[in-house]
Amino acid sequence: MRKHRHPDIFLSLCGILTILTVLFIGTNVIVMTFQGTRSFLSNVMRTETLFAIGLSVRTACVSTLLCFLLAVPTSFILERTSFPLRPVVETALELTMSLPNIVLGLSMLIIFASPFGKALKHAGFPVVFSQNGIVLAQLIVNLPFAIKLSTAAFRDVDVKLEHVAGLLGASPFRQFSTILLPLSRHTLISALILVWSRALGEFGATLMLVGVTRMKTETLPAGIYLDVSTNDLSGALSSAFMLLLISALSLGIANRLTKKNVRWSRHV
Amino acid sequence: MSDTILSIRNLIIRRGYFILNDVSLDIHERELFAVIGKTGAGKTMLLEASAGFCKPDHGQVLYRGTPVRDIPLHKRNIGYLYQDYNLFPHMTAAGNIGYSLKMRHVPNSEIQSMVQEIARLFEVDGVLDQYPGTLSGGEQQRVALARALLMKPPLLLLDEPFTALDPVTKHRMYGMFRTIRDKFSCAVLFVTHDFAEAQALADRIGVLVGGSLRGVVSSDQLYLADWDRDVRMFLGLDAMRRRC
Repeated sequence: MRKHRHPDIFLSLCGILTILTVLFIGTNVIVMTFQGTRSFLSNVMRTETLFAIGLSVRTACVSTLLCFLLAVPTSFILERTSFPLRPVVETALELTMSLPNIVLGLSMLIIFASPFGKALKHAGFPVVFSQNGIVLAQLIVNLPFAIKLSTAAFRDVDVKLEHVAGLLGASPFRQFSTILLPLSRHTLISALILVWSRALGEFGATLMLVGVTRMKTETLPAGIYLDVSTNDLSGALSSAFMLLLISALSLGIANRLTKKNVRWSRHV
Repeated sequence: MSDTILSIRNLIIRRGYFILNDVSLDIHERELFAVIGKTGAGKTMLLEASAGFCKPDHGQVLYRGTPVRDIPLHKRNIGYLYQDYNLFPHMTAAGNIGYSLKMRHVPNSEIQSMVQEIARLFEVDGVLDQYPGTLSGGEQQRVALARALLMKPPLLLLDEPFTALDPVTKHRMYGMFRTIRDKFSCAVLFVTHDFAEAQALADRIGVLVGGSLRGVVSSDQLYLADWDRDVRMFLGLDAMRRRC
Protein backbone atom coordinates (compact mmCIF):
# COMPACT_ATOMS: atom_id res chain seq x y z
CA MET A 1 0.00 0.00 0.00
CA ARG A 2 2.89 2.33 0.82
CA LYS A 3 3.94 2.06 -2.78
CA HIS A 4 0.90 4.10 -3.90
CA ARG A 5 1.26 6.85 -1.30
CA HIS A 6 3.51 9.19 -3.28
CA PRO A 7 1.52 9.04 -6.50
CA ASP A 8 -1.61 9.88 -4.44
CA ILE A 9 0.03 13.01 -3.01
CA PHE A 10 1.31 13.99 -6.46
CA LEU A 11 -2.15 13.47 -7.93
CA SER A 12 -3.73 15.68 -5.27
CA LEU A 13 -1.10 18.39 -5.81
CA CYS A 14 -1.62 18.20 -9.55
CA GLY A 15 -5.40 18.51 -9.06
CA ILE A 16 -5.10 21.52 -6.72
CA LEU A 17 -2.68 23.23 -9.10
CA THR A 18 -5.00 22.61 -12.07
CA ILE A 19 -8.00 24.04 -10.18
CA LEU A 20 -6.01 27.13 -9.12
CA THR A 21 -4.75 27.67 -12.66
CA VAL A 22 -8.23 27.29 -14.10
CA LEU A 23 -9.65 29.70 -11.49
CA PHE A 24 -6.88 32.25 -12.00
CA ILE A 25 -6.73 32.17 -15.78
CA GLY A 26 -10.41 31.35 -16.11
CA THR A 27 -11.48 34.55 -14.31
CA ASN A 28 -9.38 36.62 -16.69
CA VAL A 29 -10.61 34.69 -19.70
CA ILE A 30 -14.26 35.07 -18.65
CA VAL A 31 -13.90 38.84 -18.10
CA MET A 32 -12.04 39.25 -21.39
CA THR A 33 -14.47 37.04 -23.28
CA PHE A 34 -17.67 38.63 -22.00
CA GLN A 35 -16.44 42.21 -21.87
CA GLY A 36 -14.35 41.82 -25.00
CA THR A 37 -16.94 40.05 -27.16
CA ARG A 38 -19.68 42.55 -26.24
CA SER A 39 -18.05 45.24 -28.35
CA PHE A 40 -15.59 42.95 -30.09
CA LEU A 41 -16.79 43.35 -33.66
CA SER A 42 -17.17 47.13 -33.55
CA ASN A 43 -13.78 47.51 -31.84
CA VAL A 44 -11.95 45.05 -34.02
CA MET A 45 -13.12 46.80 -37.18
CA ARG A 46 -11.58 50.09 -36.04
CA THR A 47 -8.78 51.27 -38.32
CA GLU A 48 -6.36 51.37 -35.36
CA THR A 49 -7.12 47.78 -34.30
CA LEU A 50 -6.89 46.47 -37.85
CA PHE A 51 -3.56 48.26 -38.20
CA ALA A 52 -2.34 46.77 -34.90
CA ILE A 53 -3.41 43.24 -35.91
CA GLY A 54 -1.75 43.61 -39.32
CA LEU A 55 1.48 45.02 -37.87
CA SER A 56 1.63 42.42 -35.08
CA VAL A 57 1.07 39.48 -37.41
CA ARG A 58 3.50 40.84 -40.03
CA THR A 59 6.33 41.60 -37.60
CA ALA A 60 5.81 38.34 -35.67
CA CYS A 61 6.01 36.34 -38.93
CA VAL A 62 9.19 38.10 -40.10
CA SER A 63 10.92 37.93 -36.70
CA THR A 64 9.97 34.24 -36.20
CA LEU A 65 11.29 33.37 -39.64
CA LEU A 66 14.57 35.20 -38.95
CA CYS A 67 14.70 33.63 -35.51
CA PHE A 68 14.59 30.09 -36.90
CA LEU A 69 16.92 30.84 -39.77
CA LEU A 70 19.48 31.75 -37.11
CA ALA A 71 18.42 29.29 -34.39
CA VAL A 72 18.38 26.03 -36.39
CA PRO A 73 22.01 26.12 -37.61
CA THR A 74 23.19 27.47 -34.24
CA SER A 75 21.39 24.68 -32.38
CA PHE A 76 22.81 22.10 -34.77
CA ILE A 77 26.34 23.32 -34.06
CA LEU A 78 25.71 23.42 -30.30
CA GLU A 79 24.13 19.98 -30.19
CA ARG A 80 26.05 17.99 -32.77
CA THR A 81 29.59 19.36 -32.80
CA SER A 82 32.26 20.00 -30.22
CA PHE A 83 34.44 23.08 -30.23
CA PRO A 84 36.53 24.97 -27.70
CA LEU A 85 34.69 27.43 -25.42
CA ARG A 86 31.36 25.80 -26.18
CA PRO A 87 30.00 26.25 -22.60
CA VAL A 88 30.91 29.95 -22.82
CA VAL A 89 29.06 30.32 -26.13
CA GLU A 90 26.04 28.44 -24.74
CA THR A 91 25.90 30.65 -21.65
CA ALA A 92 26.31 33.83 -23.70
CA LEU A 93 23.49 32.80 -26.04
CA GLU A 94 21.17 32.00 -23.15
CA LEU A 95 22.07 35.04 -21.10
CA THR A 96 19.41 37.23 -22.65
CA MET A 97 16.74 34.76 -21.48
CA SER A 98 17.38 35.74 -17.89
CA LEU A 99 17.17 39.49 -18.56
CA PRO A 100 13.84 41.36 -18.33
CA ASN A 101 12.62 42.31 -21.81
CA ILE A 102 12.59 45.97 -20.88
CA VAL A 103 16.32 45.80 -20.06
CA LEU A 104 16.97 44.17 -23.41
CA GLY A 105 14.97 46.97 -25.06
CA LEU A 106 17.03 49.56 -23.20
CA SER A 107 20.28 47.89 -24.33
CA MET A 108 19.07 47.93 -27.91
CA LEU A 109 18.00 51.55 -27.61
CA ILE A 110 21.50 52.49 -26.41
CA ILE A 111 23.08 50.60 -29.33
CA PHE A 112 20.75 51.89 -32.03
CA ALA A 113 20.59 55.47 -30.75
CA SER A 114 24.39 55.58 -31.07
CA PRO A 115 26.28 56.78 -34.18
CA PHE A 116 26.06 53.16 -35.39
CA GLY A 117 22.24 53.34 -35.32
CA LYS A 118 22.31 56.73 -37.03
CA ALA A 119 24.56 55.33 -39.75
CA LEU A 120 22.06 52.49 -40.22
CA LYS A 121 19.26 55.06 -40.52
CA HIS A 122 21.20 56.98 -43.18
CA ALA A 123 21.77 53.68 -45.01
CA GLY A 124 17.99 53.25 -45.20
CA PHE A 125 17.48 50.94 -42.21
CA PRO A 126 16.07 52.96 -39.32
CA VAL A 127 15.57 50.99 -36.12
CA VAL A 128 14.60 53.37 -33.31
CA PHE A 129 10.93 54.42 -33.49
CA SER A 130 10.43 52.40 -36.66
CA GLN A 131 8.73 49.11 -37.53
CA ASN A 132 12.15 47.51 -38.20
CA GLY A 133 12.78 48.00 -34.50
CA ILE A 134 9.71 45.91 -33.64
CA VAL A 135 11.08 42.97 -35.67
CA LEU A 136 14.51 43.41 -34.10
CA ALA A 137 13.12 43.60 -30.56
CA GLN A 138 11.06 40.44 -31.10
CA LEU A 139 14.08 38.72 -32.66
CA ILE A 140 16.46 39.54 -29.81
CA VAL A 141 13.93 38.56 -27.15
CA ASN A 142 12.96 35.28 -28.81
CA LEU A 143 16.25 34.10 -30.31
CA PRO A 144 17.64 32.39 -27.16
CA PHE A 145 14.24 30.82 -26.60
CA ALA A 146 14.20 29.48 -30.20
CA ILE A 147 17.77 28.19 -29.84
CA LYS A 148 16.86 26.41 -26.60
CA LEU A 149 13.79 24.77 -28.18
CA SER A 150 15.62 23.77 -31.38
CA THR A 151 18.54 22.34 -29.39
CA ALA A 152 16.10 20.26 -27.32
CA ALA A 153 14.42 19.08 -30.54
CA PHE A 154 17.75 17.92 -31.99
CA ARG A 155 18.82 16.33 -28.71
CA ASP A 156 15.75 14.07 -28.84
CA VAL A 157 17.00 12.47 -32.07
CA ASP A 158 19.45 9.58 -31.58
CA VAL A 159 22.79 10.63 -33.05
CA LYS A 160 23.42 6.99 -34.06
CA LEU A 161 20.80 7.41 -36.80
CA GLU A 162 22.95 10.13 -38.37
CA HIS A 163 26.05 7.92 -38.02
CA VAL A 164 24.24 5.13 -39.87
CA ALA A 165 23.04 7.56 -42.53
CA GLY A 166 26.62 8.81 -42.93
CA LEU A 167 27.98 5.30 -43.40
CA LEU A 168 25.22 4.72 -45.97
CA GLY A 169 26.61 7.59 -48.01
CA ALA A 170 24.75 10.65 -46.73
CA SER A 171 26.85 13.82 -46.63
CA PRO A 172 26.61 15.92 -43.44
CA PHE A 173 23.98 18.14 -45.08
CA ARG A 174 21.95 15.11 -46.25
CA GLN A 175 22.18 13.60 -42.75
CA PHE A 176 20.71 16.87 -41.49
CA SER A 177 18.03 17.20 -44.17
CA THR A 178 16.93 13.55 -44.43
CA ILE A 179 17.31 12.35 -40.83
CA LEU A 180 17.67 15.06 -38.21
CA LEU A 181 15.22 17.59 -39.66
CA PRO A 182 12.36 15.16 -40.46
CA LEU A 183 12.69 13.43 -37.08
CA SER A 184 12.61 16.71 -35.18
CA ARG A 185 10.12 18.50 -37.41
CA HIS A 186 7.09 18.12 -35.12
CA THR A 187 8.96 19.64 -32.19
CA LEU A 188 10.47 22.32 -34.42
CA ILE A 189 7.11 23.33 -35.88
CA SER A 190 5.53 23.50 -32.44
CA ALA A 191 8.54 25.57 -31.26
CA LEU A 192 8.04 27.86 -34.25
CA ILE A 193 4.40 28.41 -33.33
CA LEU A 194 5.26 29.08 -29.68
CA VAL A 195 7.96 31.56 -30.69
CA TRP A 196 5.53 33.26 -33.08
CA SER A 197 2.98 33.47 -30.30
CA ARG A 198 5.58 35.02 -27.96
CA ALA A 199 6.59 37.51 -30.68
CA LEU A 200 2.96 38.50 -31.09
CA GLY A 201 2.67 39.32 -27.41
CA GLU A 202 6.09 40.98 -27.00
CA PHE A 203 5.81 44.42 -25.41
CA GLY A 204 8.66 45.39 -23.03
CA ALA A 205 11.58 45.49 -25.46
CA THR A 206 9.40 46.91 -28.25
CA LEU A 207 8.19 49.73 -25.95
CA MET A 208 11.76 50.76 -25.12
CA LEU A 209 13.08 50.61 -28.68
CA VAL A 210 10.24 51.95 -30.82
CA GLY A 211 7.85 53.53 -28.30
CA VAL A 212 4.08 53.36 -28.75
CA THR A 213 2.74 55.58 -31.50
CA ARG A 214 -0.78 55.12 -32.85
CA MET A 215 -0.88 53.85 -36.42
CA LYS A 216 2.92 53.77 -36.61
CA THR A 217 4.41 51.36 -34.10
CA GLU A 218 1.12 50.13 -32.62
CA THR A 219 1.17 46.37 -32.18
CA LEU A 220 -1.69 44.54 -30.42
CA PRO A 221 -0.06 44.68 -26.96
CA ALA A 222 0.90 48.32 -27.57
CA GLY A 223 -2.72 48.97 -28.60
CA ILE A 224 -3.93 47.54 -25.26
CA TYR A 225 -1.49 49.83 -23.44
CA LEU A 226 -2.69 52.87 -25.42
CA ASP A 227 -6.38 51.98 -24.91
CA VAL A 228 -5.92 51.60 -21.18
CA SER A 229 -3.96 54.85 -20.94
CA THR A 230 -6.82 56.66 -22.77
CA ASN A 231 -9.38 54.94 -20.51
CA ASP A 232 -10.86 52.88 -23.39
CA LEU A 233 -11.32 49.62 -21.47
CA SER A 234 -13.64 48.06 -24.04
CA GLY A 235 -11.06 48.59 -26.81
CA ALA A 236 -8.33 47.14 -24.62
CA LEU A 237 -10.44 44.08 -23.78
CA SER A 238 -11.26 43.50 -27.46
CA SER A 239 -7.55 43.55 -28.34
CA ALA A 240 -6.81 41.30 -25.36
CA PHE A 241 -9.53 38.90 -26.53
CA MET A 242 -7.99 38.92 -30.01
CA LEU A 243 -4.57 38.04 -28.55
CA LEU A 244 -6.19 35.35 -26.42
CA LEU A 245 -7.84 33.82 -29.49
CA ILE A 246 -4.60 33.80 -31.47
CA SER A 247 -2.63 32.36 -28.52
CA ALA A 248 -5.20 29.62 -27.88
CA LEU A 249 -5.23 28.72 -31.57
CA SER A 250 -1.43 28.58 -31.82
CA LEU A 251 -1.16 26.56 -28.60
CA GLY A 252 -3.75 24.11 -29.94
CA ILE A 253 -1.83 23.69 -33.20
CA ALA A 254 1.47 23.33 -31.32
CA ASN A 255 0.04 20.63 -29.05
CA ARG A 256 -1.40 18.76 -32.00
CA LEU A 257 1.90 18.84 -33.86
CA THR A 258 3.94 17.59 -30.90
CA LYS A 259 2.00 14.33 -30.96
CA LYS A 260 4.06 11.55 -32.54
CA ASN A 261 3.29 10.40 -36.02
CA VAL A 262 1.05 7.38 -35.44
CA ARG A 263 2.12 5.74 -38.70
CA TRP A 264 5.53 5.02 -37.14
CA SER A 265 4.03 3.26 -34.17
CA ARG A 266 3.16 -0.37 -33.79
CA HIS A 267 -0.08 0.56 -31.99
CA VAL A 268 -1.92 1.91 -35.02
CA MET B 1 47.03 -14.88 -45.91
CA SER B 2 44.66 -12.51 -47.70
CA ASP B 3 44.95 -8.72 -47.52
CA THR B 4 44.20 -6.85 -44.33
CA ILE B 5 41.07 -4.73 -44.56
CA LEU B 6 41.03 -3.33 -41.03
CA SER B 7 44.10 -2.83 -38.93
CA ILE B 8 43.85 -1.62 -35.36
CA ARG B 9 47.22 -0.52 -33.98
CA ASN B 10 47.90 0.08 -30.26
CA LEU B 11 44.48 1.64 -29.82
CA ILE B 12 43.85 3.44 -26.54
CA ILE B 13 40.56 5.20 -25.84
CA ARG B 14 39.68 6.70 -22.45
CA ARG B 15 36.06 7.33 -21.50
CA GLY B 16 35.73 8.34 -17.86
CA TYR B 17 37.13 5.52 -15.74
CA PHE B 18 37.07 3.03 -18.62
CA ILE B 19 40.10 2.49 -20.85
CA LEU B 20 40.23 0.49 -24.04
CA ASN B 21 43.83 -0.44 -23.50
CA ASP B 22 46.41 -0.93 -26.25
CA VAL B 23 44.30 -3.04 -28.60
CA SER B 24 45.98 -4.31 -31.78
CA LEU B 25 44.10 -6.41 -34.28
CA ASP B 26 44.06 -7.21 -38.01
CA ILE B 27 40.92 -8.25 -39.88
CA HIS B 28 41.45 -9.83 -43.26
CA GLU B 29 39.29 -9.62 -46.35
CA ARG B 30 36.26 -11.95 -46.27
CA GLU B 31 37.08 -13.00 -42.71
CA LEU B 32 34.43 -13.63 -40.05
CA PHE B 33 35.94 -12.26 -36.86
CA ALA B 34 34.26 -12.27 -33.47
CA VAL B 35 35.23 -10.25 -30.42
CA ILE B 36 33.86 -11.76 -27.25
CA GLY B 37 33.74 -10.23 -23.80
CA LYS B 38 31.51 -9.52 -20.84
CA THR B 39 29.14 -6.53 -20.77
CA GLY B 40 31.31 -3.46 -20.19
CA ALA B 41 34.47 -5.07 -21.61
CA GLY B 42 34.70 -2.39 -24.32
CA LYS B 43 33.29 -4.37 -27.25
CA THR B 44 30.98 -1.64 -28.56
CA MET B 45 33.69 0.99 -28.10
CA LEU B 46 36.07 -1.14 -30.16
CA LEU B 47 33.43 -1.50 -32.86
CA GLU B 48 32.67 2.23 -32.87
CA ALA B 49 36.40 2.99 -33.07
CA SER B 50 36.64 0.59 -36.02
CA ALA B 51 33.97 2.59 -37.83
CA GLY B 52 35.79 5.81 -36.90
CA PHE B 53 33.00 7.15 -34.69
CA CYS B 54 35.27 7.85 -31.74
CA LYS B 55 38.62 9.55 -31.67
CA PRO B 56 41.47 7.44 -30.27
CA ASP B 57 43.61 8.89 -27.51
CA HIS B 58 46.49 6.87 -28.90
CA GLY B 59 47.11 4.49 -31.80
CA GLN B 60 45.14 4.30 -34.99
CA VAL B 61 42.58 2.38 -36.98
CA LEU B 62 43.50 1.81 -40.61
CA TYR B 63 40.74 0.92 -43.06
CA ARG B 64 42.24 -0.39 -46.30
CA GLY B 65 45.52 1.25 -45.30
CA THR B 66 44.10 4.71 -44.58
CA PRO B 67 43.34 6.09 -41.10
CA VAL B 68 39.58 5.58 -40.93
CA ARG B 69 38.89 9.01 -39.47
CA ASP B 70 40.69 10.64 -42.43
CA ILE B 71 37.99 9.24 -44.74
CA PRO B 72 34.80 11.34 -44.65
CA LEU B 73 32.00 9.34 -42.98
CA HIS B 74 29.88 9.25 -46.15
CA LYS B 75 32.77 7.89 -48.21
CA ARG B 76 33.85 5.05 -45.88
CA ASN B 77 31.42 2.43 -47.24
CA ILE B 78 31.40 0.39 -44.04
CA GLY B 79 28.28 -1.53 -43.07
CA TYR B 80 27.29 -1.04 -39.43
CA LEU B 81 24.54 -2.74 -37.51
CA TYR B 82 23.77 -1.43 -34.04
CA GLN B 83 22.36 -3.73 -31.39
CA ASP B 84 18.98 -2.01 -31.66
CA TYR B 85 19.27 -1.88 -35.48
CA ASN B 86 18.61 1.90 -35.66
CA LEU B 87 16.26 1.81 -38.61
CA PHE B 88 15.04 5.25 -39.66
CA PRO B 89 11.61 5.38 -38.00
CA HIS B 90 10.13 7.88 -40.47
CA MET B 91 10.86 5.71 -43.53
CA THR B 92 9.29 2.45 -44.63
CA ALA B 93 11.38 -0.72 -44.81
CA ALA B 94 11.84 -0.02 -48.55
CA GLY B 95 12.90 3.56 -47.79
CA ASN B 96 15.42 2.28 -45.24
CA ILE B 97 16.89 -0.34 -47.56
CA GLY B 98 17.10 2.01 -50.54
CA TYR B 99 18.51 4.93 -48.55
CA SER B 100 22.12 4.40 -49.67
CA LEU B 101 21.06 4.34 -53.32
CA LYS B 102 19.01 7.51 -52.88
CA MET B 103 22.08 9.22 -51.41
CA ARG B 104 23.96 8.26 -54.56
CA HIS B 105 21.22 9.73 -56.78
CA VAL B 106 20.35 6.37 -58.37
CA PRO B 107 17.10 6.62 -60.43
CA ASN B 108 13.95 5.56 -58.56
CA SER B 109 13.14 2.66 -60.91
CA GLU B 110 16.58 1.17 -60.33
CA ILE B 111 16.28 1.68 -56.56
CA GLN B 112 12.98 -0.20 -56.57
CA SER B 113 14.32 -3.21 -58.42
CA MET B 114 17.52 -3.40 -56.34
CA VAL B 115 15.55 -3.07 -53.09
CA GLN B 116 13.15 -5.82 -54.21
CA GLU B 117 16.06 -8.10 -55.07
CA ILE B 118 17.88 -7.74 -51.74
CA ALA B 119 14.60 -7.82 -49.80
CA ARG B 120 13.82 -11.20 -51.37
CA LEU B 121 17.26 -12.46 -50.32
CA PHE B 122 16.67 -11.40 -46.72
CA GLU B 123 13.02 -12.52 -46.81
CA VAL B 124 11.58 -9.10 -46.06
CA ASP B 125 9.93 -8.45 -49.43
CA GLY B 126 6.51 -8.83 -47.78
CA VAL B 127 7.04 -5.96 -45.35
CA LEU B 128 8.62 -3.36 -47.63
CA ASP B 129 5.80 -0.84 -47.24
CA GLN B 130 5.73 -1.11 -43.44
CA TYR B 131 7.33 1.28 -40.95
CA PRO B 132 10.02 -0.13 -38.59
CA GLY B 133 7.75 0.29 -35.56
CA THR B 134 5.38 -2.32 -36.98
CA LEU B 135 8.07 -4.95 -37.70
CA SER B 136 9.15 -7.82 -35.46
CA GLY B 137 12.72 -7.94 -34.06
CA GLY B 138 13.82 -10.47 -36.66
CA GLU B 139 12.29 -8.46 -39.52
CA GLN B 140 13.92 -5.28 -38.25
CA GLN B 141 17.29 -7.02 -38.14
CA ARG B 142 16.95 -8.38 -41.66
CA VAL B 143 15.86 -4.98 -42.99
CA ALA B 144 18.87 -3.39 -41.23
CA LEU B 145 21.20 -6.04 -42.72
CA ALA B 146 19.75 -5.53 -46.19
CA ARG B 147 20.21 -1.77 -45.78
CA ALA B 148 23.81 -2.17 -44.62
CA LEU B 149 24.74 -4.62 -47.38
CA LEU B 150 23.03 -3.08 -50.40
CA MET B 151 26.13 -1.09 -51.38
CA LYS B 152 28.29 -4.21 -50.90
CA PRO B 153 30.61 -2.74 -48.25
CA PRO B 154 33.95 -4.56 -47.92
CA LEU B 155 33.57 -4.52 -44.12
CA LEU B 156 30.49 -5.20 -42.00
CA LEU B 157 30.50 -4.33 -38.29
CA LEU B 158 27.83 -5.93 -36.10
CA ASP B 159 27.13 -5.06 -32.47
CA GLU B 160 25.61 -8.01 -30.59
CA PRO B 161 23.58 -8.94 -33.68
CA PHE B 162 21.59 -11.81 -32.17
CA THR B 163 21.05 -10.71 -28.58
CA ALA B 164 17.50 -9.42 -29.01
CA LEU B 165 16.26 -12.43 -30.99
CA ASP B 166 14.34 -15.47 -29.78
CA PRO B 167 16.17 -18.86 -30.13
CA VAL B 168 14.28 -19.92 -33.29
CA THR B 169 14.88 -16.63 -35.12
CA LYS B 170 18.46 -16.64 -33.85
CA HIS B 171 19.24 -19.99 -35.45
CA ARG B 172 17.54 -18.92 -38.66
CA MET B 173 19.74 -15.82 -38.67
CA TYR B 174 22.88 -17.91 -38.09
CA GLY B 175 22.24 -19.55 -41.45
CA MET B 176 21.70 -16.20 -43.12
CA PHE B 177 24.89 -14.88 -41.51
CA ARG B 178 27.01 -17.51 -43.24
CA THR B 179 25.55 -16.64 -46.64
CA ILE B 180 26.38 -12.95 -46.17
CA ARG B 181 30.10 -13.50 -46.67
CA ASP B 182 29.57 -15.73 -49.69
CA LYS B 183 27.03 -13.44 -51.40
CA PHE B 184 28.57 -10.08 -50.50
CA SER B 185 32.27 -11.01 -50.21
CA CYS B 186 32.75 -8.83 -47.15
CA ALA B 187 34.74 -9.19 -43.96
CA VAL B 188 32.57 -9.29 -40.85
CA LEU B 189 33.64 -8.07 -37.42
CA PHE B 190 31.02 -8.78 -34.81
CA VAL B 191 31.01 -8.45 -31.06
CA THR B 192 29.08 -10.72 -28.74
CA HIS B 193 29.07 -11.94 -25.15
CA ASP B 194 27.98 -15.41 -26.31
CA PHE B 195 31.17 -17.44 -26.93
CA ALA B 196 29.24 -20.45 -28.24
CA GLU B 197 27.73 -18.17 -30.88
CA ALA B 198 31.16 -16.75 -31.70
CA GLN B 199 32.64 -20.22 -32.02
CA ALA B 200 29.81 -21.37 -34.26
CA LEU B 201 30.05 -18.42 -36.66
CA ALA B 202 33.56 -16.93 -36.67
CA ASP B 203 36.83 -17.95 -38.30
CA ARG B 204 38.85 -16.24 -35.57
CA ILE B 205 37.95 -14.96 -32.12
CA GLY B 206 39.46 -12.21 -30.00
CA VAL B 207 38.80 -12.12 -26.27
CA LEU B 208 38.37 -8.70 -24.68
CA VAL B 209 38.57 -8.50 -20.89
CA GLY B 210 38.49 -5.21 -18.96
CA GLY B 211 39.29 -3.17 -22.06
CA SER B 212 42.33 -5.18 -23.16
CA LEU B 213 42.51 -7.78 -25.89
CA ARG B 214 43.90 -10.91 -24.21
CA GLY B 215 44.49 -12.87 -27.39
CA VAL B 216 43.24 -13.94 -30.80
CA VAL B 217 42.72 -17.60 -31.74
CA SER B 218 41.05 -19.57 -34.47
CA SER B 219 37.56 -20.51 -33.33
CA ASP B 220 38.40 -24.22 -32.88
CA GLN B 221 41.15 -23.23 -30.42
CA LEU B 222 38.91 -21.13 -28.15
CA TYR B 223 38.75 -23.70 -25.35
CA LEU B 224 42.20 -25.19 -26.00
CA ALA B 225 44.45 -22.15 -26.03
CA ASP B 226 46.64 -21.21 -23.08
CA TRP B 227 44.62 -18.29 -21.68
CA ASP B 228 45.34 -16.16 -18.64
CA ARG B 229 43.25 -16.46 -15.46
CA ASP B 230 40.72 -13.72 -16.39
CA VAL B 231 39.89 -15.34 -19.72
CA ARG B 232 39.70 -18.79 -18.13
CA MET B 233 37.21 -17.36 -15.62
CA PHE B 234 35.19 -15.71 -18.40
CA LEU B 235 35.08 -18.86 -20.49
CA GLY B 236 34.45 -21.01 -17.41
CA LEU B 237 37.41 -23.22 -18.30
CA ASP B 238 38.58 -23.82 -14.72
CA ALA B 239 35.13 -24.91 -13.61
CA MET B 240 34.82 -27.10 -16.70
CA ARG B 241 38.17 -28.77 -16.00
CA ARG B 242 37.25 -29.29 -12.33
CA ARG B 243 34.05 -31.04 -13.39
CA CYS B 244 36.02 -33.25 -15.77
